[in-house]
Amino acid sequence: MKLITSTLSCSRQGFVKTVKTGLLATVLAFSGVQAYALSELNVAQGSDPQNLDPIDTFRLSWGSIGSNIFEGLIQRGEDLQLVPGLATAWEFLDDNSRIRFTLREGVSFHNGEPFNAAAVKYTFDRLLGEQGQKGPQRSNYTSIGSVEVIDDYTVEFHMNQVDPVLITKLAGYGAMIVPPKYIEEVGEEAFDRKPVGTGPYQVVSYEPSVELKLARFEGYWNGTAKTELVNIRFISEPATRMAELMSGGVDISLNVPNTSVETLKKNKSVDLVTVGGPTVNMMRFKANSGITADARVREAMNIAIDRDAILNALLGGLGESIATAQGELSFGNDASIKKYPYDPARAKALLKEAGVAPGTDITLDIYNSDETFREISQVVSSYLGMVGLNLKIRANETNIMASDLIPNGKTGELFQFGWGGWTFDFDNTAYLLYHSGERFNPYINDAKLDELLEQQRATYDRDVREQALQQVAGYIREQSLELPLFNLATMYGVSKKVSGFVPAPDDRVRYMNVVVAE
Amino acid sequence: MQQLTFLSQRLLQAVFVTLAVTLFVAFAIRFTGDPAVMMTQESSNVTEADLAMIRESLGLNAPFHVQYLQFMGQLLTGELGNSFFRGPIKELIGSALPSTLLLAATSMVLSILISIPLGIVAAVKQGKWVDQLIRILSLTGLSFPNFWLAMMLVLIFSITFNVLPVSGFSGVASLVLPSATVAIVLTAVNVRLVRTAMLDVLSEQYIMVARAKGVKEFWVIYKHALRNSAIALITFFGLQFGNLIGGIVVVERVFNWPGMGSLALDAIAQRDYPLLQASVCILAMLIVIVNLVTDMAYSLIDPRIRVKS
Repeated sequence: MKLITSTLSCSRQGFVKTVKTGLLATVLAFSGVQAYALSELNVAQGSDPQNLDPIDTFRLSWGSIGSNIFEGLIQRGEDLQLVPGLATAWEFLDDNSRIRFTLREGVSFHNGEPFNAAAVKYTFDRLLGEQGQKGPQRSNYTSIGSVEVIDDYTVEFHMNQVDPVLITKLAGYGAMIVPPKYIEEVGEEAFDRKPVGTGPYQVVSYEPSVELKLARFEGYWNGTAKTELVNIRFISEPATRMAELMSGGVDISLNVPNTSVETLKKNKSVDLVTVGGPTVNMMRFKANSGITADARVREAMNIAIDRDAILNALLGGLGESIATAQGELSFGNDASIKKYPYDPARAKALLKEAGVAPGTDITLDIYNSDETFREISQVVSSYLGMVGLNLKIRANETNIMASDLIPNGKTGELFQFGWGGWTFDFDNTAYLLYHSGERFNPYINDAKLDELLEQQRATYDRDVREQALQQVAGYIREQSLELPLFNLATMYGVSKKVSGFVPAPDDRVRYMNVVVAE
Repeated sequence: MQQLTFLSQRLLQAVFVTLAVTLFVAFAIRFTGDPAVMMTQESSNVTEADLAMIRESLGLNAPFHVQYLQFMGQLLTGELGNSFFRGPIKELIGSALPSTLLLAATSMVLSILISIPLGIVAAVKQGKWVDQLIRILSLTGLSFPNFWLAMMLVLIFSITFNVLPVSGFSGVASLVLPSATVAIVLTAVNVRLVRTAMLDVLSEQYIMVARAKGVKEFWVIYKHALRNSAIALITFFGLQFGNLIGGIVVVERVFNWPGMGSLALDAIAQRDYPLLQASVCILAMLIVIVNLVTDMAYSLIDPRIRVKS
């Protein structure tokens, strides 16, 4: 509970009014007038995006914050449906070379600046220009050539190339609409710390790695947030996050570790809320050399593992075993592709047929920061042991794995791979993992895959794309080019005092409708 | 004069230590991965050209010595430059350093206040049951990993009894558990040191003389023994400071304490070179300064050193 001692809104009348209201409120508070208490929600999340500017970030930790501050032309809700956001309608023109957006009227930024075509143009010029080059978001949007202002509430995107995932990506971080005047006034550095958007909450204060305070934006166009203040605390240690949740220090905790699932289920004051997420966990093969160059060996390893047993024993059953590198929600998922069966006898036979001697050593590279996967690996190792393969697990530091071992093809026969797939479109995963020459694909070089992947990228036709993506998935399965494991649930720990919380599969949590009971 | 030479020698040493530390850190961190890759891990369609662009804007394409000299230049002017992701380093350290110092000082004072009386009792009652008890307690304290101890304290005081906050910093109550964690482990060592130092002095002839003169036991212990063991104790406590900082880095993480340890750990995970260099450098300087002050303190405590010089 907090008393009003200063105004929280950064109102369009600016500083003078803020000071006046602040003084008035302080006087009221000190003169013993019953000040009214603001409703407050406390949230813990594992990491701090460190920079609140949407084009400077790639982190899920930004999604759970930024989605409350910013909006894009297109919105994607917790149900993953794309709906109009700051654009009310859009149409493809001139053989898809232009996309015309009709913008929503009567929307303003937290600082009072109006949202209009100029803001949209500024946003994309900034993203695709010099400022965007410094950050990780630009590369997602390079299919946009330029943005033209038609009138105050109409813009046209001139496309460089066909981009079938563009509309989805316009709901992504990099495409969040930012205020031109505010950025010009305060500068880029100040915007990183105290950004302004059109969303239901505005930033009050931000202390990096410690806490971010949000307050309700009274001028929001799409309703009013139910809770006035949202305090988001950054707590990197999972056990501490869970301790805060259980002691009532926070009302909602993101990033619940698998090790806490049982504890949370037993706790009387906290609920474990789960939703199918986009993240897939798998192992990939060094498919171009050694024993794993043989498709029979790859299939043998795939069927030597009982995925459902691991899922139930280690992961509390919170997830799904998968047949390909995507979950059920992904566009391009083919439900008819069968999951790998558990068949150790056949695995042994396949290995024998491929001439692999029992006791052959193989290596699996994993990320040392992922405790859950380490446990999974140990079980996988014993399953492989049962069919005569001696799996050694090598744990590596995250950065070394991502910037050296994988891109330079220095991994063992197997390596861990987790993929977020934020667009829920298989293109995003498949192109990166299977197209020749991609950074994260050091081992697969297959003309058929390249062709299918390029084909689906060159068209907006959903049927053609879906078919091509399903063919890619089928081909990978047929050749056993990887070892898919699970699609794990996204988990939230939520106090029983909280109502109105909808778990977001993509970590883009929205707090607008959340209420905390007294 | 001797004092001055001594001081300037130590200052020169301090500069070299700091220089070596920064050089090592700056060099080593660049071998272990690429910040541009960390930044783009979850983006699709990242090409080598994109990565090169990010590296260029982070200033990573310059040769190592240029980057290092630039950092040293910033360090000398006190500007410290910008972190890759988080804005001006000066501000980040400005808010983290006081938190760490507060935690370090509280824990150290707490530990000294407990360990000196306990250590004296153990020394005076050498071999008796009190001494044994203190020895056992100290051994128990030493065998707690501070990480585990921290979680146990949280479990007892925050979750079960709900009397102290779990983490963060929101007033004096927040200071209790983190400083207790650090102090318990520290005290376990310090008690042993105090006991040893006291035993050394208590076996000296002048103690026997004092007792023979009929000086009360309290004054023998306090004035003759404790003051004479002070130099040894201060050296011990000063040397402990390095360990203390090491322990604090871990404890800060468990209690989500917004200090230098958290800052450095985050910087390592993200390969934020400038921030890591600056924070490690500041921590190293801190340890160097404390050791320097420890050396200086001798002469204040021991009049004999003042007279000689």
